[in-house]
Amino acid sequence: MKKRGIGVGCMFYGIGNTGMPNPAGAFLDLTDDGTVLVLTGCADIGQGSSTVLAQIAAGELGVNIEDVLVVAGDTGVSPDAGATSASRQTYISGNAVLLAARQAKEVLLEEAAGIMAAAASDLCLRDGHVWRAGEKTPLTVKEVLAACRKKGKLTLGSGWFNPETTGMDETGRGAPYATYSYATQVAEIEVDTETGKVSVLRLVAAHDVGRAINPKSVEGQIEGGCLMGIGYALLEEVKLTEGRIGNPRYAEYLLPMSLDVPEIHAIIVEEPEITGPFGAKGVGEPALIPTAAAIANAVADALGVRFYDLPITPEKILAALSAKGDGSARMGEIT
Amino acid sequence: MNRRGSGCLKDGPGVIGRNCRRVDGIAKVKGSAFFAADRKIDGMLLARVLRSRVPHAVLNKIDARSALEVPGVVAVYTASDIPGENRVGIIVKDEPVLVDDRIRRVGDALALVVAESEEALAAALPAIKVWYEELPGIFSPAQAMAGGAPAIHGQGNIQSVTRIVKGDADSALKEARVVISRRYTTQMVEHAYLEPEAGLAAVEDGQVTIWASTQNPHYDRREVARVLGIGQNRVRVVQAPTGGGFGGKLDISVQCLLGLAAWKSGRPVRMVYSREESMEFSPKRHPCVIDYTSACDGDGRLLAVKVKIVGDTGAYASYGPATLKRAAVHASGPYQVPNVFIEAYCVYTNNPTAGAMRGFGVPQVAFAHESQMDLLAGALGLDPFTIRLRNCFQPGSATATGQRLIQSVGIGQTIEQARAGAVQLGVLGGKR
Repeated sequence: MKKRGIGVGCMFYGIGNTGMPNPAGAFLDLTDDGTVLVLTGCADIGQGSSTVLAQIAAGELGVNIEDVLVVAGDTGVSPDAGATSASRQTYISGNAVLLAARQAKEVLLEEAAGIMAAAASDLCLRDGHVWRAGEKTPLTVKEVLAACRKKGKLTLGSGWFNPETTGMDETGRGAPYATYSYATQVAEIEVDTETGKVSVLRLVAAHDVGRAINPKSVEGQIEGGCLMGIGYALLEEVKLTEGRIGNPRYAEYLLPMSLDVPEIHAIIVEEPEITGPFGAKGVGEPALIPTAAAIANAVADALGVRFYDLPITPEKILAALSAKGDGSARMGEIT
Repeated sequence: MNRRGSGCLKDGPGVIGRNCRRVDGIAKVKGSAFFAADRKIDGMLLARVLRSRVPHAVLNKIDARSALEVPGVVAVYTASDIPGENRVGIIVKDEPVLVDDRIRRVGDALALVVAESEEALAAALPAIKVWYEELPGIFSPAQAMAGGAPAIHGQGNIQSVTRIVKGDADSALKEARVVISRRYTTQMVEHAYLEPEAGLAAVEDGQVTIWASTQNPHYDRREVARVLGIGQNRVRVVQAPTGGGFGGKLDISVQCLLGLAAWKSGRPVRMVYSREESMEFSPKRHPCVIDYTSACDGDGRLLAVKVKIVGDTGAYASYGPATLKRAAVHASGPYQVPNVFIEAYCVYTNNPTAGAMRGFGVPQVAFAHESQMDLLAGALGLDPFTIRLRNCFQPGSATATGQRLIQSVGIGQTIEQARAGAVQLGVLGGKR
């Protein structure tokens, strides 16, 4: 018999390291041909930080992302950006890159103000042009760069950002994070009471990320996180005997596979963070956090039996149904 | 056509909030990205680690003479070859690069073999003789915390304790309409990134460069410099394209060993973990035991939570103290709770090291606090969404640590929108 259940999971997550300084720095060089070279210590490990940092630099300088080259994670050329962890790089390295871009932009705007006999504060950069009081002018960023070079002016920037936090005292009081991300996920599952197998049918995942710099990238994080959460809830377990791992191969360590992927409906909620780059916070870890909780609650909803021990395997489900006196499970045990 | 065009945006009003193509997308899709294991330098050697097969022992002696006679073997390095400090760790420097006194887990690195070929490495590893005296192992935090348990690191097995106290939880429990106490247990899990740990090191002009699969190249630089006993001006770490990390590539894996091998041998050296090596010896997600008591009034408003979290950090601290601290800060969930008593213990055992993994202690406590919310709702006949909306943070709310949340507090929005999304899809509706 198949039983359907629905469960909810909520979470909050502090962005950055807990109650300690964790700064990031960035350098930026706007070269003669309009290339924006961003030097960052931020390691892109597949999560997409180099793309997001390129967007932030391009956004601040009003140019194409195609004009940006991000050189990341080389201690020979880039400043320290701390770890790619704690869902911190969009917020912290994003701010560092934003500040570096702003510094280079100020050189450009000052030069443009001279050319146009205008106040720098009336000018901004957008679409590769200088804009004045909200109107596009014919003066391009490249022309301003050429004017700078003629005078021997380089257009460089550096920036660093450290989130505003406090340590925690002995009773735990403090403000350990500068900002928090939030999420709610709803899981719809089905339990086969004969085999004990749980199938996750649909997940609705609503995440407050402040501002999505790249919505597709945010969705990708949410989908990957949901999958990891399904593994955590139902399948994955490193089995130990006296400190030895008994299943160090993918043949024995069960991960969610493509056939375990449910419909995932990602909903991006944007409550802008005033200290974030263009309002952004982080999503890397939040993506996974509520999934197992939502699935566990959905299993309880389906069966009327709650599990307190992860992962919720078919063996545990059959044993619990048997103890509860569910007919279909018990039949298998009467031998 | 000039790729740069006029510098004008091709579509959309701005680059922020746009689905720009990933800057590394083409190389990853076409398989042309140059991962550490793909890199070669002329004259490059290969390296492999001899690891402990016992969880707890005193190391007496390593004899590598027979291994050095294997054709193609260039060197075997042990702890005494390390010129600088033989301890690494992001928070506590408690893990040897190569064991010098005591084995604390299965998989501790004992010796590093450097050779011309994989065949030579395979023949050399079993030829190394190791003498050790096995010690009784500690395989659970309960055992480790018990009075009289031998200390794995010489100063007691409780690595760290985080306490968060707000209001008076015990008094609040007495006045509550519903009190629910449960024990939750969570398992150890593996990150399972696609690319196992890998790196390549070379020395040129007195400077060692290490290309590695890593989440934190600047930390790697600090540790390599300390271990080699040289300044950071002589170490360059370049993050190679990294095939996933999820926290598992925050600790040192190949970096210091490769630095040592290249530094001592004067030749480029590459090391790539096999899948089994990666799964057996990389840090894992902390298994936790969570004792959770929640109390609410007749409307389902939370009055108090009491939580005790015990996390097994295994043989070395790694990110354990920070993971348990974060678990404590987040243990009461995204809810306003006036009275809180939370304790989180990070405990050494002789199990595999647990370190950072995506979520950092919070998936564990979220399983517990969200189960508790449903149990409270069930006791009062409330809908799971209603009880959450009634308790969730609002602008102006204070967290368990007393932090006032001023702006960008989207939890209520996510509850509403997740519910609306579920109704729209037909996930919710008929049933409730």
